[in-house]
Amino acid sequence: MAQTRPRGSYAAELRALVAEVIRMGGLAEAQVVDAVDAVVRRDVPLAQALIVRDLRLDAMQADIERRALALIAAHDPSDEDLRQAVSTLKLAMNLERCGDLARNIAKRSLVLSGSDPVLSLMGAIQRMGRLVAARLHEVLNAYAMQEMDAAMAVWRRDEEVDEHYESIFRELLTLMAERPDTVAPGAHLLFIAKNLERIGDHATNIAEVLHFQITGEALDQARPKVSLLDAPPPVAAAP
Amino acid sequence: MLELLPDPVLLVRAGGAHASEIAYANQAARELFRIELSGAPLGAALRQPQVLEAIEEALASDAAVEVAFETIGVQPRYWRAFVRPLDGGATQRDLVLMLRDETDARRTERMRADFLANASHELRTPLASLAGFVETLRTHAKDDPVARDRFLGIMAEQAGRMARLIDDLLSLSRIEMNEHIAPEGVVDFGQVAQDVVEAIRPLSRERGVAVTVRSWAGQLSVAGDRDQLVQVVQNLVENAVKYSAAGGAVTVELARVGALDEARAAVGRPRWVALSLLSPDVAAHQGYVTMRVSDHGSGLARQHLPRLSERFYRVGGQKSGGTGLGLAIVKHIVNRHRGGLVVESAEGEGATFTVYLPAA
Repeated sequence: MAQTRPRGSYAAELRALVAEVIRMGGLAEAQVVDAVDAVVRRDVPLAQALIVRDLRLDAMQADIERRALALIAAHDPSDEDLRQAVSTLKLAMNLERCGDLARNIAKRSLVLSGSDPVLSLMGAIQRMGRLVAARLHEVLNAYAMQEMDAAMAVWRRDEEVDEHYESIFRELLTLMAERPDTVAPGAHLLFIAKNLERIGDHATNIAEVLHFQITGEALDQARPKVSLLDAPPPVAAAP
Repeated sequence: MLELLPDPVLLVRAGGAHASEIAYANQAARELFRIELSGAPLGAALRQPQVLEAIEEALASDAAVEVAFETIGVQPRYWRAFVRPLDGGATQRDLVLMLRDETDARRTERMRADFLANASHELRTPLASLAGFVETLRTHAKDDPVARDRFLGIMAEQAGRMARLIDDLLSLSRIEMNEHIAPEGVVDFGQVAQDVVEAIRPLSRERGVAVTVRSWAGQLSVAGDRDQLVQVVQNLVENAVKYSAAGGAVTVELARVGALDEARAAVGRPRWVALSLLSPDVAAHQGYVTMRVSDHGSGLARQHLPRLSERFYRVGGQKSGGTGLGLAIVKHIVNRHRGGLVVESAEGEGATFTVYLPAA
């Protein structure tokens, strides 16, 4: 299909679309930061505002999708041009999911605010939250500057987030076993920690998207991953 | 003249459809964002929703707007942005953005609250213990000189513990106050390590632990504050000595590497788990000086690693007599020095702490 518009127009429209993705990124990052603050500070108005603001992320994703598809249909780009347009779609998807996870955290923070705080975990949750927000921020910086090295630095450090999650998970299990009155809030904190871990995964996804966009090749190495689920089973004692 | 202003200043060219670009950034801005800003999309540096909205408002109303925001990171900073549109043509509007760092004010507030909370919580136990002994000496042990001597000894210990705790808390507060301001001096880190190991010889001798320093390079200068770096080495080496059994050995290895990845690479022993406790922002063409402090003590279980640098976090059952702030102090000093911290350990085999600092 021959191009129906001059090349310069494609570049300009793509640039505007990328700017919109970066803008969406800024909103998603802010939601993640606010969600963690809402949990740690038991900030009910913050959580409520966040839940409302998530609608904007959904709207932005729908808009980016519509515009990216229109751009591709109108210009029939190939190679890097096509990859750049497709990247905006993939990023918007990942960012919208981050927003959903942040909204879920905020909803759970509202429930947690209604009962006694689980003080011993707040430090760990805040640390993990800040780490995850920082990862997302770094990978979005890398995307904005089209810098693969910076993105790969995020990609390689995925395990750090996992270690934090596993540590919180274990601690919560111990706490809930010792004190049954913490089971209800503990369950919510488990989900909150899991959501943060998944936001971390989305940051790593975005790094992979950028890698593919720039090089045209998917990463062939396995993503560094840590999980208690992968630990070798305990050796049975000899009879 | 803008170049010389201490506050970050950006000149933003607002294109249509939100595709704003940074036309110019002064030195303070370049240092803050650490990327090549000129020609970059605005969102590469600033994309906080309230900042973008402030820019839109400034353009729409053709008036100055100010807005507060937070930069995202492991150590967030608080800013106030002053946005002012410049007279321009219809299609291209320029804006000036000036940022003022309000981190000090916000952090001081939070630190004061933290300090009070920490101090009151941690002092409660030794204070209660002291009060208990005072009561006992006034009643049951009133005429028992042997008990009196023993109890007074314990009381002196508790008082000493409280004093060390307050010292460490104040130390930590002071470090945090300046944490966002990079140090200016140049320090011979190799010499610092030698000096500290020498200074703690009484402790290592008393514990029967041999401490050796090995240096793999000649030139080990780092940008830094000597007193603070002494504290880092001291805390790590003292910990290693305290957690070693008698007859054990602690090694301090110094080296110089060319890249961040090398600096934070784990030794990679089987069954050992490595975790980065602190990672600095990536800086191009930066070499690092690394210090590895290794012991062969009881090591640390995997689930404790992410919380090691948390204040007062103690691995269950360990009673080293410390304040519980040693690693927190190390982390905050290393952070100020824009360096990193990695811990590696296997239960029953020992632990290695690696500090890496930007070479000068």
